[in-house]
Amino acid sequence: MQTQSSRWFGHGLYLVIMGILITGVYFAGQKIDYSWHWERLWPYIINTESQDIVSVTDGTAVVSSSGKLTIEPDYGGAPQVVTQYDTLVSRNGDLIFQGDTIARIDGWRFGPIAEGLWVTIKISFISLFFAVILGVVFGLMRIAHGQVWRNLALTYVEVIRGTPLLVQIFIVYFFIGTVLDLDRFTAGVAALSIFTGAYVAEIVRAGIQSVPVGQMEAARSLGMNYVQAMIYVIMPQAIKRTLPPLAGQFINLIKDSSLVSVIAITDLTKAGREVVSGSFAPFEVWFTVAALYLVVTGGLSWIIQLFEKRLSASD
Amino acid sequence: MTDVSKQAPTNALIQAQKVNKVFPNGCHALKDVSLDIFPGEVVVIIGPSGSGKSTFLRTLNQLETITSGHILLDQVDLVDKRTNINRVREEVGMVFQAFNLFPHKTALGNVMLAPLKVQQQLKSDAEQTARDLLRRVGLADRMDSYPSRLSGGQQQRVAIARSLAMKPKALLFDEPTSALDPEMVGEVLDVMKKLASEGMTMVVVTHEMGFAREVADRVVFMEEGELVLEETPEQFFNSNHPRLQRFLGQVL
Repeated sequence: MQTQSSRWFGHGLYLVIMGILITGVYFAGQKIDYSWHWERLWPYIINTESQDIVSVTDGTAVVSSSGKLTIEPDYGGAPQVVTQYDTLVSRNGDLIFQGDTIARIDGWRFGPIAEGLWVTIKISFISLFFAVILGVVFGLMRIAHGQVWRNLALTYVEVIRGTPLLVQIFIVYFFIGTVLDLDRFTAGVAALSIFTGAYVAEIVRAGIQSVPVGQMEAARSLGMNYVQAMIYVIMPQAIKRTLPPLAGQFINLIKDSSLVSVIAITDLTKAGREVVSGSFAPFEVWFTVAALYLVVTGGLSWIIQLFEKRLSASD
Repeated sequence: MTDVSKQAPTNALIQAQKVNKVFPNGCHALKDVSLDIFPGEVVVIIGPSGSGKSTFLRTLNQLETITSGHILLDQVDLVDKRTNINRVREEVGMVFQAFNLFPHKTALGNVMLAPLKVQQQLKSDAEQTARDLLRRVGLADRMDSYPSRLSGGQQQRVAIARSLAMKPKALLFDEPTSALDPEMVGEVLDVMKKLASEGMTMVVVTHEMGFAREVADRVVFMEEGELVLEETPEQFFNSNHPRLQRFLGQVL
C-alpha cells in the first residue's frame, strides 16, 4: 500500500519532470529559425472575419431609404436584392460589375480545421457503430457450432487483419465503390467499419470464451435456451471483460480515420494539410491537429471508463 | 422408443435405461447404467473420482448427451429429438460443485433471473418467490449482496434457492460441498436435509458419507462407469462387496 506522503512526492516529481520536458521543447522551438504565428491559426478554426457579398451581375446599385440594396442589371433579368448586411461598400448609383464586393456581413463561421474535426468525429462514430455490430456478429460466428460459420468468420478476420487499412480503403473506394456506386464518405465508413470489426470480433470472441463454461451450464440447466443464456448471462459478463481492449480499439479507430483523407474526404488530417499550404504555419497546425485528436480520443476513453466503473458494482 | 417405456410401466420420476456414454476421445464413461428414481426419494451416488458419477448426473438433465440408452422424465424420453430440452430442464434443477452463480447479479437477481426470462413471471411475483426462497435457505439479510461478497456456503445456498425458483420436480446435486471450506459444509447439508424432509426428489453425487447414511433412501456405488451396487443405506454400509469395501477403506 502506498502512503499518502509518497504519493504526493510522486505527483510532485512528475510535475517537475513534465516541466523540464515542456521547457525543453519550448526552448528547442525558440532556437530553430522559425517564427511562430499561433494567431494565424484562428481563422482556420473559427473565422470571425466579415464575409463579402458579391454582385452576381453587371448593373447599377440602388440603395433605398430603408437601407435595402438592389442591383439593377444592365441587360435585364431579375434584380439582386440584399437586405441583410452590416457594412455597405457600394453607394447609390454606383456602376457595378459582376464579382464586385457590394456589402459585408459580420459574424463567424467554422474554419476548415473545425469542419475537419467534425468530419473526423462523424466518420469515427458512425464507423464505430457498424464496427461493433460487425464485431459482435462475427465474434459469435467464431464460436458457433456450425463449421461453415466458423470458417467464414475466420476468413473475414484473417483477411482484414492481414492487409493494410490504406489498401482496404483504396479497394473499397475504387473497386467496391465503383461496383455499388458509393460516395466517398460511405466508402470511408465502410472501410473503417470492416477493418475495426475484425478486431472487435476477436475481442468479443475472447471475452465470451473467458466466461467460465459453468455459467452457460448453470443458465441452460435453469431452462434458458442458448440465446437467452447468451443475452442474460454470458454477454453481460463478457462486455465487462472486453471494455478495456475495446477502448483501445475504438481509440485506434479514431486515429485510423485519418487515413480516409487519401480518398479526398476532408477530415481533420486533410484539413490540416490544406491549412498548412494556406497559412504557412505547419508546426502550429500539426500541433493543433494532434491536440484535437487527443481531445476526441481522451473524451472517448473517459466515457468508457465511466461505463467500466458502473459495471464494476458487482466486484 | 415408446416400447422402451412400455417395458417398465412404473411411477418412477426419472428412469435411466442402459445409458452409455462414450466421449469423443474414446473414453467409455458410462456402461449400461440403469437407475429408477421415484418421487420424493433421495438417491446418493458415491464412487471414486473418474467413476462416471458426475457424468451420469449430468446426463439426467442432458447437460451431457448420451451415446445410447434412454432417459425418461415422467415417461418423456429426453433422447427423443422432439423433446424440448429447455422445458425438461425447468423441471430438473441442478446445483454445481463450483456454485456457478451469475456474478453480475445480486443474490436476489440470481434467483429471479430464470423465472423472469424463462417463465415470464411478473416481476413482483418472481421477487416475492425469490425473497421467500432466500429466507428459507437462511439468507434473509444477504439478498442484495453480489456473489463476490458471499462466502462459499452462502453462494451454494443461493444456488440452491435459484434452482428451487423454477419449482422443479427434482434437484440434481453435483458434489455440492466439495468446493467448500470444512466449516461451511454443514450449513449447505442442513439446507439439503430440510429439502429432503419436505419431500423434494433429489439425486446427490457426494463424498459426504454421513449425509448418505442419514438422509438417503438409496445409495448407489459407481466405479469405472458401471453401477456396481444399489442398496438402502443400512445394507449399503454393511455390504461386504469387495469393490465397495476397497473404496470405503480408502475414504473412511
